[in-house]
Amino acid sequence: MNKTLQIAITLALIGMTSACINDAENGSNGINGNDGSVGEKGVAGSPGENSLLNQTVLAIGDKNCPNGGLKIASGIDKNRSGVLDSDEINKNEFVCKTTRTKLNDHELINNKNNTWYVEAAKRVKDNDENISNIIKKAGSAKNIILFVGDGMGISTVTAARILEGQQKGMMGEENQLSFGKFPFAGLAKTYNVDAQTPDSAGTMTAIITGVKTDAGVIGVDEDVVRGDCSTAAGNELVTALELAEIAGKSTGIVTTARITHATPAATYAKSAERNWEDVSDMPAQAITDGCEDIASQLVNFKANLESRHAGINIDGIEVAMGGGRRHFLPKDVAANSPDASSSIEGDRTDGRNLVTEWKNTYPNGVYVYDQAGFDAINPENTERVFALFNESHMQYEADRQNDIAGEPSLTEMTEKSIALLDNNKKGFFLMVESGRIDHAHHAGSANGALTETIEFSNAIQAAVENTNPKDTLIIVTADHGHVFTIAGYPKRGNPILGKVVGVGKTEPSLAADNMPYTTLGYTNGRGFRDLGSETNADATYATDAVSGRVDLSSIDTESPGFHQETLVPRSSETHSGEDVGVYATGPGAHLVTGTNEQNMIFHVMNHAAALVEKAEATLP
Amino acid sequence: MKTQYLSLSAAVAIALSSNSYAQILPETQTNSDWYVKAQQKTSEKLHLKNRYKAKNVILFVGDGMGVSTLTASRILEGQLAGQTGEENVLSFENFPHTALVKTYNVDAQTPDSAGTMTAMMSGLKTDAGVIGVDEDVQRGDCASAQGNEVATALDLAEIAGFSTGVVSTARITHATPAATYAKSAERNWEDISDMPAEAVTAGCEDIASQLVNYESNLEARYPGVDVDGIEVVMGGGRRHFLPKDATANSTDAVSSIEGDRTDNRNLVAEWQATYPDGKYVMDQSGFDAIDTEKAKHIFALFNESHMQYEANRPNDIAGEPSLSEMTEKAIKVLDNNKKGFFLMVESGRIDHAHHAGNAYNALQDTIEFSNAVKAALENTNPEETLILVTADHSHVFTIAGYPKRGNPILGEVVSVGETDPALAADGLPYTTLGYANGRGFRDLGTETNADATYDTDPVAGRQDISGIDTTQPGFHQETLVPRGSETHAGEDVTLHANGPGAQYAQGVVEQSVIFHIIDQAMSLTEK
Repeated sequence: MNKTLQIAITLALIGMTSACINDAENGSNGINGNDGSVGEKGVAGSPGENSLLNQTVLAIGDKNCPNGGLKIASGIDKNRSGVLDSDEINKNEFVCKTTRTKLNDHELINNKNNTWYVEAAKRVKDNDENISNIIKKAGSAKNIILFVGDGMGISTVTAARILEGQQKGMMGEENQLSFGKFPFAGLAKTYNVDAQTPDSAGTMTAIITGVKTDAGVIGVDEDVVRGDCSTAAGNELVTALELAEIAGKSTGIVTTARITHATPAATYAKSAERNWEDVSDMPAQAITDGCEDIASQLVNFKANLESRHAGINIDGIEVAMGGGRRHFLPKDVAANSPDASSSIEGDRTDGRNLVTEWKNTYPNGVYVYDQAGFDAINPENTERVFALFNESHMQYEADRQNDIAGEPSLTEMTEKSIALLDNNKKGFFLMVESGRIDHAHHAGSANGALTETIEFSNAIQAAVENTNPKDTLIIVTADHGHVFTIAGYPKRGNPILGKVVGVGKTEPSLAADNMPYTTLGYTNGRGFRDLGSETNADATYATDAVSGRVDLSSIDTESPGFHQETLVPRSSETHSGEDVGVYATGPGAHLVTGTNEQNMIFHVMNHAAALVEKAEATLP
Repeated sequence: MKTQYLSLSAAVAIALSSNSYAQILPETQTNSDWYVKAQQKTSEKLHLKNRYKAKNVILFVGDGMGVSTLTASRILEGQLAGQTGEENVLSFENFPHTALVKTYNVDAQTPDSAGTMTAMMSGLKTDAGVIGVDEDVQRGDCASAQGNEVATALDLAEIAGFSTGVVSTARITHATPAATYAKSAERNWEDISDMPAEAVTAGCEDIASQLVNYESNLEARYPGVDVDGIEVVMGGGRRHFLPKDATANSTDAVSSIEGDRTDNRNLVAEWQATYPDGKYVMDQSGFDAIDTEKAKHIFALFNESHMQYEANRPNDIAGEPSLSEMTEKAIKVLDNNKKGFFLMVESGRIDHAHHAGNAYNALQDTIEFSNAVKAALENTNPEETLILVTADHSHVFTIAGYPKRGNPILGEVVSVGETDPALAADGLPYTTLGYANGRGFRDLGTETNADATYDTDPVAGRQDISGIDTTQPGFHQETLVPRGSETHAGEDVTLHANGPGAQYAQGVVEQSVIFHIIDQAMSLTEK
């Protein structure tokens, strides 16, 4: 392989760059002969010995020249043979090609031809586009939609993504929920001022006012004493929804929970106690002290806000959709809705019918309570909508077909809300809550929680499709997590609601107790149930909590009525304290990155839509 | 940093005071500390400047450090500093850029460290259990590896002339560190005695041997490249480098015969022969004696198997450095190269403590991991060094409701406004932290070695923990499903990024994207 050449002197051959090069030196000249004596013609001196070079081409991979080159052996041809013999070599030099600092495509073929590699590389390239699309300017967002998946922790997002994928015939893990495709994601620290693991009232107050507060209180700061009406006065906080309202934007609240429940309530109400959903829930003292129940605050929203801020002129919330009729109707059978399920639907003990009051305040408003009423709404010519689809919470998505008069999905509600709200040229603020992810988890039903989360994802997709990313900030987050886990080690594509089957296996893995176990589990709650095709997760409350392991060998854990086993028996499974995800797209979306206190979400929205500034501009 | 804060808050103040409108927000809101700090942080984020090319990249991997582990560790660190805890942040939680990372392997819903680290280091997902090879490999089948090897960021950085380093508290041949330098159809082939005869015959090389032969292997794999080898290697795992021969024992050996190798090779001696100027160390005093400005190559094996849990480090025979000490020293050696460096630092024992069902050690090791990231921040220039902090996967580790603010994170749940523990439906108290599976309850008092749990069988279910101090190092949380060891979990983990190119950490991504973020910053491949 190494071919030996012989040449007589000088090199500088070949266009080699010189990284490890010493140019080979010429051989030393021979010694001159002595001069002859004067007078006589002297004998010519002996000629100098020749200096010779042997040049050897080195192949790639050579020890001295990894990328190939030349080896130049030099020495004096002492025996004058004209050949540089090995014992005549006094110096070896190497002229190396510069070593390569990058691999070529062929060498990286296993990387570069791999689909995972190609897609991941593309993602980073796409990120360039996301970076250049960042809109930093304050007030660039005309519209804001805040999606709150109640109790939708990181494990819920992953499991729901897998279930959705599997329902579409994929293995599942590679799937993305709609908001998983958003350009930016951050983490939110969820604790309340007085609680390590928070509740929805404190967390939503943080999200919507920019101020953390105690667990259990709505729209008031931490100086309040929970349940003490008199401590609320003077500690009220202004919400993003109120600022949007004052700024002249349209506003909307959509939830699958009771519209008076903690999360939606925190957008519009101020209360020392989240449970004061109607007057019958309040202690007499609180009423005497002048506190107003949450349902009443919803229908009096316009008047209350105007009295709180002198000189503003607002038109009230345009869209309020959810459950919770019982808090708006008097405890009087005569006030029952046509599709009432209880004999007396209303809970109110003050004789007020807040639905009637709302209609009187907004003669142009449309009140609906079922699917048919909902479907009849023309969002293009409807000024405002008040929809109470259920006595308490709306149905679980999986249970919706069992509703008496029918009710819309979260997606349908979201789509219709946007169609109505975007009639306002100044833009809108909309809060959409999936309230029952949380409830299904509390009931220990992964099936229920994941089905809700998928529907939540659909609702977000509807929002993406019905808005312009250049003028609409969409933030998707959760208020807190749940003690919900995805155990090891199921193989890829194993049914997420199933039992763990290991990689390369077809039979379920057995635990140390020789029984199979499910991938999904809860560390506390009401525990195991096998309720078959039951789609109402709350059916678990019919029997006592069951702690510990059960033989699941012959049980279909993927059926809607299966409730996962649990460790710590509790009347209801608990929230968890770890950070939740914040996913965003649109103007200001990049501000959600990092690990931030949950109350920063308000400030991101405030910056994006310049809510405070625009609201203040309307003040006299 | 402080002056920046001041000027920013001053700017905010001016902006507010120059506002000619009446105030819409009450002072109770605008004067709230929560409000002011969040507003300040929002405004800081608006002023972030993007840089794109990094001189150095440091990848920190918290093995098994899921989101719940981060939150619980942050609270513990805060509480150890006398705070309520929840308001604390770990060093890297101040990083401006984040992503959520999908961790599954090509063949596994809930992944392992081999497949996940291969994704991060090579830019592509692969099967569970395999190292530096793509999904076409059959796990455990040597022959199937050949031709399916993939290049790693460390390989490419070496070839490009960067200095390189691998630091871990686990055995340096364990899955995570191995995926930076080795190619293997089986993560368990840590030394030749772990390999089936067939694999040896078929020409597969054990992982320890691949580490000491790294330079020549890389040059043989890619003819024409000239590398100088990994400059810094620190961790545990001596047994895989030494022959099964008592005469090869280190001076601080624990086992009667330390080495496992059945081929009689002493890889430490081989390494020393390859790098005559290199420094091999095996204990704290050797570590302390390293002159970082002169050292060219360092090879440190501090333990026969994994290094100690951080909380158990005082019990090591000859002493061993902490992860932050190793990180600092590694950087000081690596930054002698003007071209820059690539360093991978793994906290390997967060994972092990979780597997042992011992929250105490998992959180303590996470805190030390956070200290190591802090050491990296203090010893590098943020304008030229990209620091990525992530986990390979999570654990089935939960933070239950509803402890009050500041309740000891390792304690029993005490509710808001209460002083006595909350009782479950069985009339017994319960801990805030828990595991959905594993070996379950232990009350081992002051024991700081989490692995002591393996001395007895798994215990499933509830215990009466009324009289037990659950904040002690030796307490192991109760569990639901009894298993030989607690399992990984499948939900997304986080990526935290700071420095040039950090802005590419975005959204919800496949784990393989991490390689490409490194590649973007270091220009390792031709585009």
